[in-house]
Amino acid sequence: MDFANRNNTANKFVCPSDRQLALRAKLKAGWSSSKSNEPLRPEEQEAIISVIRRNEEIEIAERQRVGRLVERVEKIKLHAVERGPNCCRLCGDTFGLLRPQRLICEDCRKSVCAKCSVDINIRYHNSERTREIWLCRICSETREMWKKSGAWFFKGLPNYDMPRSASATPTATPTVGGSRVVQSCHGTPTRAPRLKKLTIRVQDSSSGSSDSAQSEPEDELDGAKAKTGCKLQRDESFRLRAYGSIRSFIDNGERKLSNSFFFSRQAANSRPNTATATTTTALAAAECGDFDSISMSNASTVAQLRRESSFMRRSSVSSSWSFSDSSGSNNSATQQSQSQSQSQSQPAHCRDPLLGWLELAISYRESFHSLDCTMVRARDLPAMDAAGLADPYCKLNIITPEAHTKYTRWQRTKTVHKTRNPDFNETLQFVGVEPEELGNSLLYVALFDDDKYGHDFLGAAKVCLSTVHSTTQYRISVPLGVEDQYSSEAELSQNWPNGKMLISLCYNTKRRALVVNVKQCINLLPMDNNGSSDPFVKLQLKPDAHKNKKHKTSVKWRTLNPIFNEEFYFEASPHDLNKEMLIVTVWDKDLGKSNDFLGSLQLGAQSKGERLQQWLDCIRLPDHFHEKWHALAPDNPTH
Amino acid sequence: MAGGGDPKWQKDAADQNFDYMFKLLIIGNSSVGKTSFLFRYADDSFTSAFVSTVGIDFKVKTVFRHDKRVKLQIWDTAGQERYRTITTAYYRGAMGFILMYDVTNEDSFNSVQDWVTQIKTYSWDNAQVILVGNKCDMEDQRVISFERGRQLADQLGVEFFETSAKENVNVKAVFERLVDIICDKMSESLDADPTLVGGSQKGQRLTDQTQGTPNANCNC
Repeated sequence: MDFANRNNTANKFVCPSDRQLALRAKLKAGWSSSKSNEPLRPEEQEAIISVIRRNEEIEIAERQRVGRLVERVEKIKLHAVERGPNCCRLCGDTFGLLRPQRLICEDCRKSVCAKCSVDINIRYHNSERTREIWLCRICSETREMWKKSGAWFFKGLPNYDMPRSASATPTATPTVGGSRVVQSCHGTPTRAPRLKKLTIRVQDSSSGSSDSAQSEPEDELDGAKAKTGCKLQRDESFRLRAYGSIRSFIDNGERKLSNSFFFSRQAANSRPNTATATTTTALAAAECGDFDSISMSNASTVAQLRRESSFMRRSSVSSSWSFSDSSGSNNSATQQSQSQSQSQSQPAHCRDPLLGWLELAISYRESFHSLDCTMVRARDLPAMDAAGLADPYCKLNIITPEAHTKYTRWQRTKTVHKTRNPDFNETLQFVGVEPEELGNSLLYVALFDDDKYGHDFLGAAKVCLSTVHSTTQYRISVPLGVEDQYSSEAELSQNWPNGKMLISLCYNTKRRALVVNVKQCINLLPMDNNGSSDPFVKLQLKPDAHKNKKHKTSVKWRTLNPIFNEEFYFEASPHDLNKEMLIVTVWDKDLGKSNDFLGSLQLGAQSKGERLQQWLDCIRLPDHFHEKWHALAPDNPTH
Repeated sequence: MAGGGDPKWQKDAADQNFDYMFKLLIIGNSSVGKTSFLFRYADDSFTSAFVSTVGIDFKVKTVFRHDKRVKLQIWDTAGQERYRTITTAYYRGAMGFILMYDVTNEDSFNSVQDWVTQIKTYSWDNAQVILVGNKCDMEDQRVISFERGRQLADQLGVEFFETSAKENVNVKAVFERLVDIICDKMSESLDADPTLVGGSQKGQRLTDQTQGTPNANCNC
């Protein structure tokens, strides 16, 4: 066991020498290269696994403990007033001769009163000299949190679990997309919520075929309560019926197009008692008043109202519209699956006339198995910016009989800028479309508004391809409908590499200030070598005449999904806000070198779509928080 | 140190009533007495029978140090090379290392340098290390003098203890010292580098950074 003779690695019970380690490092085969290859015996594995399990329990407890520490600091931060340099950061008391003494916090350099701060005696490391410093409660608690959580050692907070009961701080679930619940329809044309509670079945009376007669009884409202056993079969038959009806509907539509195809809103309801005056007023209230105040709890009532509304809107089209409402039924689990398959086959009729029209031409070349779709023009699209214009483009895909999108990559037209009546005149080609596929596939077109900071949905249409022949071009105009699962899929196919941000705005009338709450970001870009970033957010309200409308959040270390929940006040009159722009930039904090840019967002009267809507909502309905997710753009607006 | 020597460590594992949590790792060649050392500290028990540790194990003990309750999760690693992949995985989370050799075993002493290399390779760079020469009760078989151990520790820039798990010499002292060193490091790192935490505060920190290096608002 001579140390000098260990180079032959004969002794595996001792640590390898430097020379061996250096050689190993050169091998690039990993550190295990010279290890004995003897695998672990089952009983050894068991022993190790039991230790790992024990450790896991401790880790979970530790994560929860750190979560409680973080929550504690967050709560204190929430209660901070941040009223400016002449007031205490925490309690908001103003300083003065007869008033509390002003102290400067050592860490954040903000003014605090003695009541809200702690003095600590610090001893210089190498001398016996001591000095008293003041820390505001937030900073002293943060220091404690860093010590207690071990963050001081790992240079960042370890993973932690926020306590479940922490409902005081409303953090939205970090799921991307799809989580938008009922949202307001202010400023922009009315749209149904993306979470569909309502499915509408369509039967075209003009088709007049035997299947319509057959299905009539089971398509009544209570038909939704039909037994699960026959559901699958029913769905299948329904889908086929739906396809058939779409075809005839579109044919119908084309014929009627010349003499204004807009749904006339006559009160020709097949069920007259639903369209009472009370429903109309309640409906109006629901459509105008459903801000963020409408929570999940009363979403069902909204859905109810919406059902009525859509009933009123659409029942006049033909006499045989029938409804199946899945939200109201009790057996929601089974109903959901049904409603899902129904909404997948939901025809293109469920539209709001306000969403405009799309004219397109489709031709099929059998020899190439290619489907050429020409987007000709669109008319009367919803306005997306303050000037009443939009920058529309189309996204196309084919929906298979299984109700899936055929292509993972959506085809996209160019953007036509600054218009609500764009002339696209662009042909997109789908290759690999078999002739027999045409009979039961749909072409799906979704229109979006192009913007640096997010693409807003304008309208969507489905066109049945069974009428497309290889010989002639099939030219039709289709009305654009509301969002559905395909349009959200189209939107999700949009690549937002810079991640998203949840931000909440509120105009505080008492303090005459815009309150910006930076809640959280997700999927930020990793900028550091460790595959993570240390993000923080800078906020600026422009134009900034007094150079005092700048704020930034704390740094969240080593995370790509930081939760900030930090509030900032920008003093401004509501009138000024109409001209201001809030510029939000996310940065990766780097010590010793310049910070890396991670993404940007602009909110203001000049922005578009959802961002404009949030901004206007915030002005129109002050003293309420308006919260929205936004995509982060890759370019730096401050440059 | 209160709580030391209490055989109630099992309760400590679930105990959430503490201020800091430190993870410590005991490393060193096989059969230098790492497991015995840990058992002496955590359970105050000793057996001279040698049972090789399978991979990795840990014990939890809460100590009271300078008005703070510190929960220690002490990892006992297998010295054998064949478990090296498992043991090195735990280096990263450790704030302190007890690097142990056997005063009756020249080989284990010669390997200390290699273990330090391992620490440097796998652990966080501010992890604290204490060098420990175990089995100091076996004076008749001693081959490494106290002086050699101390010299090596000076060379490596770490603190040094000679201990005996069997006779319960310096066992508690090693852990106490390591806790102290980590506590010192903690207040130092927070006060010397306010940007660490200061970065998590709002507001800009201007040039007002020249007040020297404050230290130790924790008394550790």
